[in-house]
Amino acid sequence: MPDFLERPRTACALAGALSVIGNLPDVIPIVHTSLGCGGNLANSVAFGSGYLGSGYCSGGAAPSTGVTETEIVFGGVDRLDEQIRNTLELIDGKLFIVATGCVTEMIGDDTAGVAGRFREKGFPVIAISTPSFKGDSSHGYDIALDGIFNNYLPKAEEKNPKLVNIFGLMPGYDPFFRGDLEEIERLLTGIGLEVNTFFTPSQTFENLASAPSASLNIVLSRVWGVELAKRFEERHGTPYWVTDLPIGPDATDKFLSEIASRFGLDASKAIEKGNHEFYSYFGRSADAFCDQDLKYYAVTVTNSTYAIPLARFVSTELGWVLVDSFVTDQLSEEQKPALESEIKFKLATGTQEIARAINTGHPRNRGQRYFDELSPLYIIGSTLEKRTAIARGAKHLSVSFPVYDRLIADRGYAGYRGGLHLFEDLIGQLMSMKS
Amino acid sequence: MGYYEQNVPPVRDARLKIGDSYQGHACDLVNCGQEGCLLQKGRGFWQANACQMALSLMMAATVENSVIIMHAPGGCGALLHSLSVPSAKGRGIRGKAPLPTPWLSTNLSESDVIGGGEKKLLETIEYADREFRPEIIFAVVTCAPSIIGDDIEETVRKARSSVSADVVILHCPGFKSRVVASAYDTFYHGILRGLDLTPQPWVDFKPLPEGGPDNELAEKKRLFQKSRTVNVWNATSIGPGDEGEVERLLAALGLKVRFFAEYASRSELRLVSEAGLNVSMCNVHDDYMLKFLEEKFNMPYVIAGMPIGFRHTRQWLLQVASHFGLEKEASALADYEEDLARKAIEPFLEQVKGKSVLLCGGVVRVGTEATTLQELGFNVLGIRAFHYDEGAAPIYEDVGEALPETHVSVSNQIFEMTHQIKTLKPDLVISHSGTGGYIAKLGVPSIQLFNVDNSFFAYNGIYQILRRIVFEFKNTSYRDRLSKHVKLPYKQSYFEGDAFKYIKE
Repeated sequence: MPDFLERPRTACALAGALSVIGNLPDVIPIVHTSLGCGGNLANSVAFGSGYLGSGYCSGGAAPSTGVTETEIVFGGVDRLDEQIRNTLELIDGKLFIVATGCVTEMIGDDTAGVAGRFREKGFPVIAISTPSFKGDSSHGYDIALDGIFNNYLPKAEEKNPKLVNIFGLMPGYDPFFRGDLEEIERLLTGIGLEVNTFFTPSQTFENLASAPSASLNIVLSRVWGVELAKRFEERHGTPYWVTDLPIGPDATDKFLSEIASRFGLDASKAIEKGNHEFYSYFGRSADAFCDQDLKYYAVTVTNSTYAIPLARFVSTELGWVLVDSFVTDQLSEEQKPALESEIKFKLATGTQEIARAINTGHPRNRGQRYFDELSPLYIIGSTLEKRTAIARGAKHLSVSFPVYDRLIADRGYAGYRGGLHLFEDLIGQLMSMKS
Repeated sequence: MGYYEQNVPPVRDARLKIGDSYQGHACDLVNCGQEGCLLQKGRGFWQANACQMALSLMMAATVENSVIIMHAPGGCGALLHSLSVPSAKGRGIRGKAPLPTPWLSTNLSESDVIGGGEKKLLETIEYADREFRPEIIFAVVTCAPSIIGDDIEETVRKARSSVSADVVILHCPGFKSRVVASAYDTFYHGILRGLDLTPQPWVDFKPLPEGGPDNELAEKKRLFQKSRTVNVWNATSIGPGDEGEVERLLAALGLKVRFFAEYASRSELRLVSEAGLNVSMCNVHDDYMLKFLEEKFNMPYVIAGMPIGFRHTRQWLLQVASHFGLEKEASALADYEEDLARKAIEPFLEQVKGKSVLLCGGVVRVGTEATTLQELGFNVLGIRAFHYDEGAAPIYEDVGEALPETHVSVSNQIFEMTHQIKTLKPDLVISHSGTGGYIAKLGVPSIQLFNVDNSFFAYNGIYQILRRIVFEFKNTSYRDRLSKHVKLPYKQSYFEGDAFKYIKE
């Protein structure tokens, strides 16, 4: 772990877990730590991820033990026991997940033991260990889903040959997780599969329950969700496929062909239809795109999940010139090789560090008569890059956490439709300057 | 040893009689607060909230030319991303550079939590100083390093010898208090221990030449100016609109007004002691700091409630004026302003007459606004204070007289608010930020209790409050429709019983 971080684009394991739980149907968190953690961490995505807000029983509604000094000294299990009992009495839910924070982990509460006693009595209560000092939000994503799928749900009697689970997109910390999952679901059902996305409105608790019977886990991130899928395979025998989130027609064609061949299906009609639709819209905008000279140098600053798909989209579909691709995740030495591709990436997290890398790597014209400047430039990153972009006269769109200069509802950039949306947003940003 | 000499400030729970779990009526609340029985109360069911760290960060993020260092595991600072937006905007409105406050995290790992994180803190302070060249570095100490007992004072003492910024320590262990308002004391404790609050010669003023012929006159002039200067203490809920209104009124009495401590810079904070009076705008915000300034610089202070509504504004204004012997002038000013404002609000009063209202939020503001609205013809159904401490006693003595039968609770809990809204069925809810979405989902009209983009204080404030209430009633379709499509997480049986059934002794 690096010594310190400037403006980390993630939070902690508890934050990631709460983001998962708060976006799953009928799953209720019980935050076992100080009263502030649940609210503060939920707010980081409620306001910092395209204004995701709070859901059924998350954010300020999330049950929490709110341990104080008394529990720090004497232990927090009694408070936890009371909080679980009253949560079961008050809150309607199908699964209750006790998630720990730093303080209750440091005092060594036997949280799993308390949850286990409730489970013995037939209540659906599990516990996961999510202190901040153990990892960031991505780890929390893994830990929460691991708790549900690999430590709670029973093994399936038989597999559903058409059913797939989608992993890798983190609620909140991937700001477009819902829109992206919607499009993935649309694409896959279009070729005859059944899809568990878990986090989109059409999903119910039944989708969680049916997950062990899936025939394939698709992990749309080269890094996040991979460990989860490995353990899922060990427990449930479901193989997994790690691939990139497809953005735009070229990537989506390949994604559909690959998945169809794995299932012995034919994707050619879906691909033809997807391309027809995409180019019917995209083609018409060529007049504006070309006449207004909307070709750019591009710098991307995103988490590892979006880095390669985004870089490929702007290079392949828009014909822009990619100059830098910054990956802002904290990756271990074992994780780094997973990101190897034709896209050369740089690992950096600090806003200042990234701004400096852009500016020193690509100096400005200091009055030279002939100077091959990096211009026009488009920085596609988080809202933190906005000031970096303004300072050097570059255009800017926020697509990666934190995003607080736009509201995101069902917007997504995956697939054919998502590719069009990304195109709309990138170019729309330029058009919005006109008056 | 007094609080001000201690490295770690007391939490409110240790300093004052305080509570966060109560239901009943105002008179009983005041008694329960005095007797200390409020301290014993708690809940058997809690929902997540904020902590003193969150509010401390909100305040620190406004201070000019500062950097915040979270001495914490990676998650604690996450809310700073969205906090940087209002603080940058607040700077812009006050004529300062609208830049967000950079922040860092020492990102404590499991081994740091075992072995201590002091070295990381030192390195991070040095990096922040080098990289951002701030005037002030806030070192925010959260739960984990507080439990392992990192020697923060010693680490910061070491850092001070090598960095050019002043380092201010904010001790924010969230587990020490459930009461968010503890943050005010934390923030001021950091400021009063970490910063020089006296003007520096040749930097802030030109010293008088020794034996100079005009020295006596110059000193008299300075003292006169100082005696007519008041420091007014703001805090997160008080926006530039309210500051402007307060400044306008005090300037009309011939006083020079300066606002502290939010949005101040290091050099402005050095001038804190150069004033004749410190004025609070809320009983539970700044008594800790004002008492310090009295002790240290012999500066008198006024804590006289919150200037919301005609009666409370007049009272506040008169108390400030009485320090200067300007009661007559203040009274005349209040008469004049009230007359203008009463005429202006007349058309609104017709439209809101008899509307029932529930108020939720900061203890002083909800109590003050409740009696104000009652005087203007509203029917106050209930008051929900986020916490209660003895500083708020004068407000609730007043509520007890004006609204003896009105239900008063101490609760920041969404489930209890949901129950009350569903059973009391108010025409309007006035509520603290963070709850608006929940209220909309219940289909009830609401306005914000405060919002730094709007005005709430004194004469302009009451006009704006009423204007926004009338505006809210003009179209409630959004809420009506939204509420039909929202499923609440609470079982129906809860709504058939007592809203406060989980409060316990």
